[in-house]
Amino acid sequence: MSQTNDRENRDVARQRSHIYGLLATFYRQEVTSDFLRQIKAPQFLGVFSDLGLEMGQDLFQKSEESVLEEMSVEYARLLLGPGRHISPHESVHLPEEEGGTGQLWGKPAVKVKKFIEASGLEYKSEYSGLPDHISVELEFMQHLTLREAQAWEEDGRKGSEFYLNIEKTFMEEHLTRWIPIFCEKVMEETEMPFYKGMAALTKKFIEFEQEEMVDKSG
Amino acid sequence: MRDITRRDIFKLGAVGAAVIATGKAFSSQALAGDIVEGGKDFSPKTGVERTMIPSSCWSCVTRDPMIGFVEDGRLVKLEGQPNSIRSRGKICAKGAAGINQLYDPDRILYPMKRVGKRGEGKWKRITWDEALTELTARLKKVRDDGHPEKFMFHYGRMKASSSKIVKAFLSAYGTGTVGNHTSICEGGKWTAQELTWGAHYDNWDFDNTKYVLNFGSGVLEAHTNHIPTSQRLVEAMVDRGVKMVTFDVRISNTAARSTEWVPIKPGTDGAVVLAMCREVMEAGLYDKAFFPFIKATDNPNASTDEKVAALKAHLAKYTPQWAEKISGVPAAKIKATALEFAQNKPACVISYRGAVAHYNGNDTERAVQMLGAITGNIDNPGGRCHGVGAKWKSPKGPKGPKAKKLKILDGFKGAAAYPTHHSNHQILKVIKDGKAGRPDIYMWYCYTPVYANGECQENIDILKDESLIPYTVAVNAYYDESTALADLILPNPSYLEWWDWEDMVSPTQVPEYYIRQPFVKPLGESRDFKDVVCDLSSRLGFPLGFNSAEEFVKKSCEMTPGIKAAGGFDFMKKQGVWHDPNAKPKFDMYKKKVKADALKKAGVIFDDATSTYWNWKKSGAKSEAEAKQKGYTKTKNAYKGYVGLKVGNDVFAGFKPDKVNKSGFFEFYSELLKIKNFPALPTYVPIPEHEKMGPNELVLTTYKVPVHIHARSANCKWLTEIYHDNPGMINTETAGRLGISDGDRIKVKSEVGEITTTANVTEAVVPGVIAISHHLGHWEYGRYASGKKAPMAGDDDPDLKLKWWDTYGVHPNWIIPNKLDPINGQQRWMDTVVTVKKA
Repeated sequence: MSQTNDRENRDVARQRSHIYGLLATFYRQEVTSDFLRQIKAPQFLGVFSDLGLEMGQDLFQKSEESVLEEMSVEYARLLLGPGRHISPHESVHLPEEEGGTGQLWGKPAVKVKKFIEASGLEYKSEYSGLPDHISVELEFMQHLTLREAQAWEEDGRKGSEFYLNIEKTFMEEHLTRWIPIFCEKVMEETEMPFYKGMAALTKKFIEFEQEEMVDKSG
Repeated sequence: MRDITRRDIFKLGAVGAAVIATGKAFSSQALAGDIVEGGKDFSPKTGVERTMIPSSCWSCVTRDPMIGFVEDGRLVKLEGQPNSIRSRGKICAKGAAGINQLYDPDRILYPMKRVGKRGEGKWKRITWDEALTELTARLKKVRDDGHPEKFMFHYGRMKASSSKIVKAFLSAYGTGTVGNHTSICEGGKWTAQELTWGAHYDNWDFDNTKYVLNFGSGVLEAHTNHIPTSQRLVEAMVDRGVKMVTFDVRISNTAARSTEWVPIKPGTDGAVVLAMCREVMEAGLYDKAFFPFIKATDNPNASTDEKVAALKAHLAKYTPQWAEKISGVPAAKIKATALEFAQNKPACVISYRGAVAHYNGNDTERAVQMLGAITGNIDNPGGRCHGVGAKWKSPKGPKGPKAKKLKILDGFKGAAAYPTHHSNHQILKVIKDGKAGRPDIYMWYCYTPVYANGECQENIDILKDESLIPYTVAVNAYYDESTALADLILPNPSYLEWWDWEDMVSPTQVPEYYIRQPFVKPLGESRDFKDVVCDLSSRLGFPLGFNSAEEFVKKSCEMTPGIKAAGGFDFMKKQGVWHDPNAKPKFDMYKKKVKADALKKAGVIFDDATSTYWNWKKSGAKSEAEAKQKGYTKTKNAYKGYVGLKVGNDVFAGFKPDKVNKSGFFEFYSELLKIKNFPALPTYVPIPEHEKMGPNELVLTTYKVPVHIHARSANCKWLTEIYHDNPGMINTETAGRLGISDGDRIKVKSEVGEITTTANVTEAVVPGVIAISHHLGHWEYGRYASGKKAPMAGDDDPDLKLKWWDTYGVHPNWIIPNKLDPINGQQRWMDTVVTVKKA
């Protein structure tokens, strides 16, 4: 493998890490004013529309305060409850034949926790959520891809393989098994263009990653 | 939305980066730490979190580095340590079954004191304080009476830091009556090597060899450096097509996997080796370059031609035809093998107990060394090399009084000329005799004097007799045959519960540093004896300066430069092993030149008779005049001042002596042996008992199997399930002559006793021999070993219900006399003459 290829692989891994970071941030909690400012920036809007995604007019016509308010309400309605909501946890969405039980803190959650802890990372003591929250799984990929980028830089293919293997396994055993299903449900449920768009982006990105992984292991 | 392409990744990534850059505004992330190899580990079987701990084995003396998995506080699996340059991630069956040592339901978990008669099997549980108070009082009395030597300490295996710690205690106490077990193991081989090239332990460089010649070593199954060497030998044979020829009385697993098995009569290896030496010399295949370092005559300045002539003259009588008559090995095979060995360089000639544990074992080993040396296969890549192990720095204990010792360690006075590793299988006899004194306190550690030596009945009788030995203390985790005869039992943990630093020889000639750390806390009230001696020392008023084995290991890590630089104790606890990645393998060390400064140091003088520079101040000489007058060879401990060997106009490191005043030469010609009226050059001497054998008598030979440790593993259920019976192997022809059929019960009788076993009639052993393995025939040691429950045993092992075997084999040592090699004091395991009859 040439050094040029190592550099390109490093750059791709770094960008993927940023994308995982973006998605994790989106699912972690309600949109903050800082985040909203980023969303409204031309760069973000450009990428969004380039991919064929709508942002909706409300974002620009209403006051920041009411946009944040509406987004918070939608976040809670979709992902937190009370009442009918789409729980953003692997345990809930994993199909039955793959070990899902529809319950929170089911066996898949334990598996995610063990997988992440086996990598050397640990859940912060102040983290009060469940181990298989979508934002945690995405954040884990963010860490892995960032380390992969460093490894390309320092050791080339030899060093990055370690991280690529973990990424691939986690992708196969977890992300691809439930995140597309979850995103479909969100896209169906929400009327807010930004949320619909982010769910679509998440699904397409996971699909892109899955295909890339197949290429790389091929 | 359209599909995402690779090009989009950069645009999306930039957006992501911008969001992350303002990340402080968002809530904290869920994960912390770093992605590393060796994060938390979960059992693929149970899903339970497990901890991987690097440590090292102790099942046999190889002491492979290993890794254990602890689940819910229980050790569940042992594996090899992949980062070890010695074992490269492998361990053997015995290593894996080490878990059975930890959870043996017959383990002793509390200090026990005898009630009733010694050996009656009645015990009272006491506290550690009671045990140590009683022991301290006895030790103090003996010491205060001015006879610390009457405290005899006897160990079976005590290596590396264990040896340093316990010996610090013994030295501070002041006793030199410290026995070991080397004479029943390999002491004879060690002495013979000390008499030739100085160091006692040899490494076989299979990584680089082209040919292996094996005399009586079970190198593929039972060697003292088993896993490190055997895997390399396997690679050499399979990957590089290296040929191995094995001379053995029996088709061992090693012989079976050799390119060729050459059957040989017991105790005649020396004849074959000498004939091989003769053939090599006569064919002119010797390596002239090595000869300047050889001593072959009494003249240290002899030329190579003179040495060659002297050797040829000495070897003239050892023709292959002569050797064939003695050994049964065809003359043509001897000659062909000799020439093949000499023509395939580098080649490695190896040997072990099969060749050495005989009356004539010392000179067999010397002859083997000679064969290696004349072909230039010494200390070279691919040959027989000096063992290289880690050199730890460690804390010293307090300086004790000059040690006093009972002269009971080396057998009866004058029985062996150079018992440099003692003759400990003679100790109980010498104690019984009493002329050299008797200990008041006899304590043994990782040792079983009753079972491990020959003449078991005599051992029992002596050890049981309170008039001979008033007080006996066993330090053991298990209720074995010897512990049953103790007055006080100090419960030691298994090695899986204690600390050590380790230093066993590396097959790559690059030293490996490694540690042993506990997988779990000692079970019950068992306490590592090393911690106990720290306690005892304080109670006796001479604290050692460290309070536990852990502290000792920790300090050693900080004191040893390479380890300290790598990260010290914390690094070793996490990694388990360390070696210097820049270290070069140690070969050809004898060729190193000694610096002129070293010869100018105060006390350094030159000895003409041996061509050796030595520092008399480090010897027992009182003055330079005395040193010069007595000379190097005859001055006590002169070897301790060895500096170098003069060859021509240069001074070389040469072959540094140890234990005896050997010169710096590779000595074929031994002045030391001549002084004691033994032949100076390696010589074949027949075994006296074999010369007098009647037509119906056989030679009893013993061996080890791949799945058992000598005397220490019959309690391991996984191993004993595999091997729990040991019939006597008899050749078909011999059995026919004696009217014995396969499966018959037979009585095997020697001058000291009789045992009953079953005949295994087979072609896999030479005629005239009965071969019975060690390991089995226990009459104590718990339910897996003997069917007998230890008096203090528990019942917490569900496998006890699954134990399906009720045969426990037979122990050959009942009928093997405790005799010795007259030169080195080695137990003659393979010489016993027996009669065999149908029972």
